[in-house]
Amino acid sequence: MAKITFGEAIRQAYEEEMARDRDVFLIGEDVGRWGSLYRSSTGLLEKFGPDQIKDTPISEAAIAGCGVGAAAMGMRPIVEIMYIDFITIAMDQIVNHAAKWRQLSNGKVKLPMVFKTQGGAGRRNSSQHSQCLENWFVYVPGLITVMPSSPYDVKGLLKSAVRDDNPVVFIEHKALYFEKGEVPEEEYLIPLGQAEVKRTGDDVTIIATSWMVSFALEAAERLQEEGISCEVIDPRTLWPLDRKTIIRSVKKTGLCMVVTEASAEGGWSGEASSVVHEHCFADLRRPVKRHCGMRTGIPYGPILERRCIPSVESIAGAAGALLREARGKG
Amino acid sequence: MRQLQQFYREMLLLRYFDQLCRALKMKDIIYSGYHPYEGQEGVAVGFCGALKPEDVLLSTHRPHCHAVAKGCSLESVLTEMMGRRTGCSGGLGGAMQFLAPENQFYCGSVVGSNLGLATGFALAMKQKKLDRICMCIFGDGASNHGTFHEGLNLAAIWKLPVVFVCENNQFAEAMPVQEFVACERISMRARGYGLEEITVDANDVEEARRAANEAIERCRRGKGPVLIEAVTYRIQGHYVGDPEGTYRDRKEVETARNKEPVKRAREKLLQGGVEAAELDSIEQEIEEELEALQEWALKQEFPTLEAAIDHVGIPLENAPEVRGPQSLTL
Repeated sequence: MAKITFGEAIRQAYEEEMARDRDVFLIGEDVGRWGSLYRSSTGLLEKFGPDQIKDTPISEAAIAGCGVGAAAMGMRPIVEIMYIDFITIAMDQIVNHAAKWRQLSNGKVKLPMVFKTQGGAGRRNSSQHSQCLENWFVYVPGLITVMPSSPYDVKGLLKSAVRDDNPVVFIEHKALYFEKGEVPEEEYLIPLGQAEVKRTGDDVTIIATSWMVSFALEAAERLQEEGISCEVIDPRTLWPLDRKTIIRSVKKTGLCMVVTEASAEGGWSGEASSVVHEHCFADLRRPVKRHCGMRTGIPYGPILERRCIPSVESIAGAAGALLREARGKG
Repeated sequence: MRQLQQFYREMLLLRYFDQLCRALKMKDIIYSGYHPYEGQEGVAVGFCGALKPEDVLLSTHRPHCHAVAKGCSLESVLTEMMGRRTGCSGGLGGAMQFLAPENQFYCGSVVGSNLGLATGFALAMKQKKLDRICMCIFGDGASNHGTFHEGLNLAAIWKLPVVFVCENNQFAEAMPVQEFVACERISMRARGYGLEEITVDANDVEEARRAANEAIERCRRGKGPVLIEAVTYRIQGHYVGDPEGTYRDRKEVETARNKEPVKRAREKLLQGGVEAAELDSIEQEIEEELEALQEWALKQEFPTLEAAIDHVGIPLENAPEVRGPQSLTL
């Protein structure tokens, strides 16, 4: 299998979907000439032309609204918001319109569209270009929220998002674009709403999202050397949440830790923890532990920003401590 | 004269329809904030009435007369405002927000959003080479919203077929327009988008229709968007029972009553030789029609909770147990 970058996997998903269906189009700031900020649409303007690859002015509200209107007319827009931090400008169009129209029309208006953006720290961009805002979208009925963690997943999930008849908020991580992973030549889809067990283990379940999945996997590798066996679950779709996969795992391990880059307070990590407590309380040897980013604006520079979010070391340390607590308790 | 008489009939229907709605609001049969339309009928009939059935109309939080003029049935609009299942949105939207896709009518209760949405409808029309246009009506207050700038600019640079109609009723809720717009006329802002400055006295329904036809024709010929300021006057409060004395003098309203479009059309018809008795009989017919409408509407059923949630939870084959134990379920 070929190893390609996360960005290239996105590009392939675009290419396949746009060739398959001419109603699919990408609209956003610098998606054409630049091929997007992280080069995930390189060469597509030349291949598909300006009807399917639309460079826009810096107008997030209009771009998002334009996507909603076009989707209501039967097109399949992929609205790219360059940084999730800028989605604040487009929130009205997403929350008050995109998320509501299906219900308001008794299902007659379908909005087959994707709001595609990227968030998180890792590129030393400080607090207005590094946020994790996925929690907002999980909270809004009428939206699907997806966070892919690997080249394989981003391609399969993006293709499914484009084909889904509901508005999907698709949040990539800026630190992942140049990460490589195996992606098959042949076409495949990954269903929305399906978690994946990224590593099987018996002692503790680690639920991690987005960039944190690779951290959790590396932490699990280290803990294995100490004889601790971790199961790592990537929900991939934050909402609707695949509860079954999570519950099945925690019933087996009896311990659970939720790892997100977003801070814990008021966040999706609380939702995930609650699911475990509600369904696996009798199986749990210790309460669910949340290991999440600090509740702060991401500070500038490489050192401080990394100290505000979980690391491989901190995840391994926290998971190990959870296990020791459980064993100590006997 | 025959056309004016038709306009007169249409405006009078809207005038009485609005009165009926106000009465139902006072009886708490219309539940939400209700925004009366009295005095602005020249805009609904002149502009909305100029559209073809396949053209799209995006309206405001004061949408009921726009909707009727666009072709939505009185039954579907009234019962929507009354929250009954025969309403356009199945009674789930209410008096400020409903969708009637079969009539190509969309509105919402967030001021200014529709300028963004309009660009998407129009983009789809243009790219699919459909002989359709989009009309986007918003108030004077919306002209200070960010989407006014973003939407107009996007439509202008892409030459999208949108007729933007600024329905200037002189007040943004309780604030008089001269206090929140620094330029003499809102239409002067058109120049900033490379568009012509067009202002029309929309209380002259014939003038309004002429301007509408011209703008629509221009759009159909692919000449890009048009912005028209349609000047009118809001005779009633922002909502039924607003503290009117805080922002205007009763005398001002009395003066405006002499210039309102229904009165003006009637005077012109009488001057043109139409018999008063003929106009009175129109009045009689409309009163009877609305009486029957009200009687029918009051018998309509309310929607069920199943209808309310049917399109909110996103049914995904692969997402078992979508609703959580903490949320109310049926």
